[in-house]
Amino acid sequence: MTQPIIELKHVTKRYGTNTILKNVDLTLEPGTFYTLLGPSGCGKTTILRIIAGFSDATEGDVLFAGKRLNKVPANQRNINTVFQEYALFPHMTVAENVAFGLTLKKMPKAEIAERVAKALKLVQLADYGDRDISALSGGQQQRIAIARAIVMQPKVLLLDEPLSALDAKLRREMQYELRDLQQRLGITFLFVTHDQEEALAMSDEIFVMNQGEVLQSGTPEDIYDEPINHFVADFIGESNILQGKMLGDFQVAFGGHEFECSDAGIPAGEPVEIVIRPEDLNLTTPEEAKLTVTIDTQLFRGNYYEIAATDNLGNDWQIHSVNPAEDGENVGITFRPQDLHVMRFGEKEAEFDARLETYEETEDETIDET
Amino acid sequence: MKRKLANLYLILVFIILYAPIIFLIVYSFSEGETMTNFHGFTWSHYHTLFTDPRMLAIVANTLLVALLSSLIATLVGTLGALGINRTTKRVTREALLTMNNVLMVSPDVIIGASFLIFFTMLGIPLGFGSVLMSHIAFEIPIVVLMVLPRLREMSSSMLDAAQDLGATMRQLLSRVVIPFISPGIFAGFFMALTYSLDDFAVTFFVTGNGFSTLSVEIYSRARQGINLEINALSGVMFLFSLLLVGGYYWIQQASHRHKQRKRGVTS
Amino acid sequence: MTKRRTWLYFIPYGLWLALFVIAPVALIIYQSFFDLGHHFTLGNYSAYFQSATYLKMTLNSVWYAFLITLFTGLISYPTAYFLHGLKHRQLWLLLVILPTWINILLKAYAFIGIFSQAGLANQFLSFIGIGPQQILFTNASFIFVATYIQIPFMILPIFNALDDLNPAFINASQDLGASGWQTFSKVVFPLTLPGVKAGVQAVFIPSLSLFMLTRLIGGNKVITLGTAIEEHFLTTMNWGMGSTIGVVLIIAMVVVMLLTGDQKPKGGTPR
Repeated sequence: MTQPIIELKHVTKRYGTNTILKNVDLTLEPGTFYTLLGPSGCGKTTILRIIAGFSDATEGDVLFAGKRLNKVPANQRNINTVFQEYALFPHMTVAENVAFGLTLKKMPKAEIAERVAKALKLVQLADYGDRDISALSGGQQQRIAIARAIVMQPKVLLLDEPLSALDAKLRREMQYELRDLQQRLGITFLFVTHDQEEALAMSDEIFVMNQGEVLQSGTPEDIYDEPINHFVADFIGESNILQGKMLGDFQVAFGGHEFECSDAGIPAGEPVEIVIRPEDLNLTTPEEAKLTVTIDTQLFRGNYYEIAATDNLGNDWQIHSVNPAEDGENVGITFRPQDLHVMRFGEKEAEFDARLETYEETEDETIDET
Repeated sequence: MKRKLANLYLILVFIILYAPIIFLIVYSFSEGETMTNFHGFTWSHYHTLFTDPRMLAIVANTLLVALLSSLIATLVGTLGALGINRTTKRVTREALLTMNNVLMVSPDVIIGASFLIFFTMLGIPLGFGSVLMSHIAFEIPIVVLMVLPRLREMSSSMLDAAQDLGATMRQLLSRVVIPFISPGIFAGFFMALTYSLDDFAVTFFVTGNGFSTLSVEIYSRARQGINLEINALSGVMFLFSLLLVGGYYWIQQASHRHKQRKRGVTS
Repeated sequence: MTKRRTWLYFIPYGLWLALFVIAPVALIIYQSFFDLGHHFTLGNYSAYFQSATYLKMTLNSVWYAFLITLFTGLISYPTAYFLHGLKHRQLWLLLVILPTWINILLKAYAFIGIFSQAGLANQFLSFIGIGPQQILFTNASFIFVATYIQIPFMILPIFNALDDLNPAFINASQDLGASGWQTFSKVVFPLTLPGVKAGVQAVFIPSLSLFMLTRLIGGNKVITLGTAIEEHFLTTMNWGMGSTIGVVLIIAMVVVMLLTGDQKPKGGTPR
């Protein structure tokens, strides 16, 4: 295993009696795209500011390539930041902005010019050097902010919700570009966002945060398919979350019926929550159904219908279907055992991972059978 | 109809606002000694003015005090604004701002009288020094008020960005903060200059004998009655004000246009 | 360590605060407790509050300041309102401000000429058949000139308040059926009241203390608080009494500021 580029060890941050970060551990490997994902106020920006050096950890250590970084001021860290509002200097031209950090280092003029030109080319604004900042669109300012940071050749680039000020179309474009840029530069990106779609699309690994804690970390697929708790399931993607009871390994009860599922290692009789993604539900006739529901309303979303329905126990269901349904109609829904994901109350990430290992092989067999 | 009445009203107000000034200047070109009937065109009052050594010395004094005091007040006021902007506690900041504004709202006589007591108690002789110090004192708050909004506009992330790119505290100040707030500093200097040139009451209290500024000189001459040399002086001062205002306005417009033109590029 | 060093920059400003803001105010209060022979006394205050002359002078000064503020307001509000409706309003506003850049003494001096026996004003009065009058050195001329000088300082804040007013409010008011006058009296005026208050602040306090106008235009008939202070400090050299009047003026100033300051809604403050 390679030496991690950044490590946070038991980092806690308090303002007075207000705890912003609770004992956070993070490990960032070189050359990987990480995302800190969470609602506003969850502490993700605080982590960024602690790594960048704008803020001190109350407790715990920050390591950079194995060396303690706590006392190193921000202007001496080989880490650069792309700020939410870009924070470009309005009294300088594009080129002067990008060159700012290099001129402070008293680098020879020719070398600065060369590196600035290269950075501008990398963000596809090669001819914009002489422009004024105010003459640029939001998307262009965003690119300049990135160029200004990467020209410093940091080992780690921190991005604080850099796309939040852009419109939807531009944001999608920039997602591709950022991902591409990270792979070309081969450095570590730590990207902060509250937009789960953005996180899922761009990241190698996501840290889901809430109320100063990292709840779950993993690849986008892991987190989407196997959320650890109600919060993560609800925050990432759309989901139906139902109260149920474990009957034994691979057997769970909810909605008044018993179902086969793909989870094990939970004592029988334990109350649990079951997650089913709306796109995993299929409409069928009541006769062939696993459950019957009554359609309440539906919205046409372009590539699918978003259908709201209620079962006879009063649980709300959300179904994504390519075909429309009729309001008030009784329909059946079906799903596969592996579409169900069972969550225990209060289970931590480490416990979840350990439990997963005990039945992983068996689970693979189950999937093969279907 | 309504519009016409409104315009008529405005025309009337503008006539009242400008009549005395125009009146003054017109008579500066009148032969004779009074401001009653125009007796024919002459430059003679201007000639008298520009060959009056006492008057020229006073003009020089006034300009010297104005420039020197504005420069110092701008420096101190800018540093003060930087300090106020750094305070993190709301109460401290409010207290500092309130104290800053004391001299802005105090009547001139109070400032003049209290400074007079102050200088006398410290044994500072009245004259150039006391006038200069007083002018610096009442100019500082306006500089602070012109610089502070600019400092507030400066986002904290911009400062973080500069540090992030390796700027030390000194570089932060010289390369980012000062250039960014320079329009505010310039406006502050400019306002300080006009405050100084405009002041009469404070100077009148702390000037003592032997040192005089234009305002004080005009006051003592006006008390003796009409003297068309003062009219000539007002003509010169009006022209000077016009140039100052015009210059200031032009610079503001230029920077505004500059911005607009650049914004135009993207749209 | 760097943090402590940057606080050094604050020293000049701090010195200024101490020497030219705190010390003078303290000194004027201190001085008000001393008589001509430099003995500590409360006599200045008792003399002030027992003397009909001083009290009448104070009332007079407040009354004149009130009149000046009132006239200034009456002239300035419509001016600001109409100006705001003009096309190149910023340019017109600049033309309103321009006269304030002319030294106040020159403007006063101009009125000495205009109001003199054979001056422009009397020529006009003769022309319309009233015949020449004594205008200079009357109370009316003092109020006129003071109002003239203060007008731009009242127009500016009202104009700014109008500028801050969201035009959607006016549309909404009309949309809900208000007439032009109702829109003005129920929406525009209440919302621009802060501007009027700022203007009152900017006009009333200086009007209490104008002393060169009382001398040059008022002919010493009107004695304002400012005139009295100047007299005590520079003519009779009774600094103690001058400071006492100064303290009265400071208190008047604070009262005016409190009355016209931002009143945050605090449990039914009577207005």
